Amino acid sequence: MYTWGDYNDPDIIGPLAESELGVKMKVDYYPSNEDLIIKLAAGAGNSGFDIVVPTGPYIPQMIEKGLIQKLDMSKIPNFVNLDSAYTSRDWDPNNEYSVCKNWGSTGYFYNKTKVTRKMETWQDFIDACMNEGSGDCAMVDTAPNLCGMWYWANGYNWNDQDPAKLDACEKFLVDEFAQHIKAFDSYPSTKLAEGAYSLAMGWNGDLRQAYSRIADAGGNPDEWVWVLGAPATELWMDTYCVATGAPNADAAHAWINWEFVPEISIKDLQYHGYNTGLKNMDSLVAELAPDLELGEMIFFSSDQVATFQTQEITPSLDRMVDIMNKVKAKAGA
Amino acid sequence: MTAEIAMARRRPRAPKFALALPSIVWYTAFFIVPIALVVVYSFGAKDSSKLVPVDFSNPSTSSYGEVFDETFFQVFRSTVRIAITATLLCLLIGLPVAYFAAFKVSEKWRAIVLAAVVVPSFTSFLIRTVAWRIPLAPNGMFSKWLQDIGLVGDKGIQILETAGAVQLAIVYNYLGFMILPLYVAFDRIDIRLREASKDLGAGRFSTFFSVTLPLAGPGIAAGVLLTFIPMCGDYVTATVLGGAKGNMIGAMIASQFNQAQNWPLGSAMAVLMIAAVLLTLVVGAAIVWLVPRVLALAEPVIQAWRRAQAGKPRQARVAPSRRPALADAVLHRSLGVWTMLVLTFLFIPVGLVFLHSFNRGNSFTIWSYAVSTKWWGELFDGAVFVQTALLFAAIVVLAVVARRLFKQRVQFGGGYTAWLVPTGLVLALVVNGVLTSWYANLFDFSGIGDAIRNSFVAAFGATVVAVVLGGTAGVALARRPGAWSNAFMVVVFLILVTPEIMEAIALATWFPRIQNVAAVGYVFTEGWGPFNGGMNKLWVGQSMYASAVVTLIVRARLSGLDESLEEAAGDLGAPPARAFRQITLPLIASAMIAGGLLSFALCLDNAVVSSLISEAGSTTFPVALLGATRSTIKPFWGVGAVSLFFVTMASLWFLVVILRRGGASAGNIAATITGA
Repeated sequence: MYTWGDYNDPDIIGPLAESELGVKMKVDYYPSNEDLIIKLAAGAGNSGFDIVVPTGPYIPQMIEKGLIQKLDMSKIPNFVNLDSAYTSRDWDPNNEYSVCKNWGSTGYFYNKTKVTRKMETWQDFIDACMNEGSGDCAMVDTAPNLCGMWYWANGYNWNDQDPAKLDACEKFLVDEFAQHIKAFDSYPSTKLAEGAYSLAMGWNGDLRQAYSRIADAGGNPDEWVWVLGAPATELWMDTYCVATGAPNADAAHAWINWEFVPEISIKDLQYHGYNTGLKNMDSLVAELAPDLELGEMIFFSSDQVATFQTQEITPSLDRMVDIMNKVKAKAGA
Repeated sequence: MTAEIAMARRRPRAPKFALALPSIVWYTAFFIVPIALVVVYSFGAKDSSKLVPVDFSNPSTSSYGEVFDETFFQVFRSTVRIAITATLLCLLIGLPVAYFAAFKVSEKWRAIVLAAVVVPSFTSFLIRTVAWRIPLAPNGMFSKWLQDIGLVGDKGIQILETAGAVQLAIVYNYLGFMILPLYVAFDRIDIRLREASKDLGAGRFSTFFSVTLPLAGPGIAAGVLLTFIPMCGDYVTATVLGGAKGNMIGAMIASQFNQAQNWPLGSAMAVLMIAAVLLTLVVGAAIVWLVPRVLALAEPVIQAWRRAQAGKPRQARVAPSRRPALADAVLHRSLGVWTMLVLTFLFIPVGLVFLHSFNRGNSFTIWSYAVSTKWWGELFDGAVFVQTALLFAAIVVLAVVARRLFKQRVQFGGGYTAWLVPTGLVLALVVNGVLTSWYANLFDFSGIGDAIRNSFVAAFGATVVAVVLGGTAGVALARRPGAWSNAFMVVVFLILVTPEIMEAIALATWFPRIQNVAAVGYVFTEGWGPFNGGMNKLWVGQSMYASAVVTLIVRARLSGLDESLEEAAGDLGAPPARAFRQITLPLIASAMIAGGLLSFALCLDNAVVSSLISEAGSTTFPVALLGATRSTIKPFWGVGAVSLFFVTMASLWFLVVILRRGGASAGNIAATITGA
């Protein structure tokens, strides 16, 4: 499996997969969808990976480039456990190539002893990064999210392709914002615990783990606050796919199917802190994980979900990647 | 008889470069062509809709323009600044240590100091870099202690995610590569020259600056080359410690290929980086060339001044016989203290890796203030581990006991019995391997176990390739030089000065292209025997630099020996093949072993090339760890690194045992291992 960092309970990947499924899992990690696509393309159908975990909107181009193969749904009967809200999405309307692994959103995390103002929106985050948090803030290492932050803060939809907005976004991020960034880090939780940043943009599950890591490091979790991005933020969904030329396609299907068993799914959810999208989630959690902490960072209210925007792959993505590239160069200057 | 010999000598000879042919083919296919393609890409335009995302319909130099754009060029400048500063720091820090080891200590202590310089590098480069996060963390124990004693403000140490952290770790990572060549250079200096200088009345300092240092010149040059070039292309250190501010050009180039899909820009950056490296080296060489000449020009003036000084009545000097003794002692002591400090510095991250592999918390870099073997249990299957270790120990003990018994009973020469221990070790390894199907069940968490195994297979294969290529090419260069050898040496030199990241992107973009070529492509997709395609790619990638190193070592060894031995063999009627086997091969054996060891160590720790070309199923330890650094590093990576350390140490010890049985002295072995 080629996946995002720290994205499954090690017990499930290791001993449980071996004892219950008879599968020895090997896992490699990538930091962004771009990395994944490039690696698969370089392997040209021979990358050796079985399961890959791309984010939904990237699926059409992966199908087009022949990087993933059709799923054999007869081998994934547990698919019925998935809530219909998370099936048949735009990028793969019939779930021919992908099934939902879990979904989440993007927000930020800050130390209230360092940033004392009230923080509610993306604009607050940007202001804090440029003032009291200057040189002490981390951004996730993906282009659409970084640019998205500017779009959301300004009340735009991040799928807006207006070139004038892209220009404005580039001008702001490169000329004004980049110099304040301390690091590009998609998984800031450990480094927050080390004390490397006072503010960090991140995904809900990783920032949820930050609380326990901070406690591990002898810090005070109560000093830290999680804020879901506002007025709008993203809804992303990562999916299980099977790579073209997968050497162990059967085992891959078996694993995906097994991940939809409620006990396994909820155990994983407890570990990574992302909603795995099963039917009757509330009762499953109440039954299988009654002492789940920080549930508000996993399950969002319908008001919150209404503000979520799903990324579309548009020609402007290329431009966003270029902007990110320049922001990185400028931040290092 | 005479006619026969004349006949034999007039036998049509293969072209002079015949022996170097494997290297020529290898370098053309995997260095010259792929790198040339990178240069070609740099004139294209980005087009991410294609599998090779470069559009050539409109060749232009716009990518170069972009690099010279203020934004990107800043990173360029800071990279060169970091690398030059780090090279100078390595020289300043390393010089006294090398000097101390070469001139001031007994042979026993010399071996200990050298071992202490080398041993830390047997722990994975990457995990040691990550380990620097531990003492530098603002919330860490060290930072809190510094806050308590008031050395830093209440924000703690503010060095992580800055160029400062990168600078520190780069000096740390490359210090050993500076100390060893310096030591070798000092060690080769004829002690009589230094004594003569002193006898002629030169003081300690003028002896050092006018005799010792110039004689060590080649060593300094080697040290500078061995540190400066890889530093320029280093992207691991900056990625792990540098954050946004400590960005280096290597990381920026890699991200053009990994993330931005902007091959033209990345290629242009890489081409300019090589140009910058070469330019810096040329400027450096010019300075080194100029200084003695300027000094020589100034020599008459200095002499005149000295004579004038000598003419004046001397100021009363205190009994000269006592003062130097005291000064000597002070010098000796302070060099010793300095060496101790440097060695401690080298061992800090290693110690932290060991300690944190016993961390009870969930992340490697955050100490939980509690010791536990939990992560060891997570990685190893305890019962299998104990069983394997016991089996191994039993076979070794048996071999040793057998040797003792043999020695007591049979009084024939030590030659045969001496081989019992190494034979026992090999036997133990093989029997153990067979009984445990090569330790397949040793690791509970198979990912790391596989990675460790892959690392060994990759490094071993690449070393075999490097030794064969380097050995043959080295012989050809030394014994059959000609017009070809100059061109060949240019390629070898280019391989050595090309920062690894360039070779990495060249191969990463080359393999997908040749995968469809019949026969050749098959090797890199399907593999052969038990080795998959990814492993074959790793052998190619890792062997490149290693084979160039072996070539140079073998060539240097043979150039020092005169050809008359082989000629004599020929005159006595030995056919060339036999002369090669019986005369040349033994002559270069030690050079090949040294080169092989060096390349094994380099390949085992290779992260840059490997991470860009690796695939699932051939992931090596550094590549897997590099992937893990992107999120939380679990303490079992520390466990993996410690295990790898012991396995590497055991392999080297094994080699030392064999060499010693072969009659080499401790000094010889040290020289062999350090590549001297």
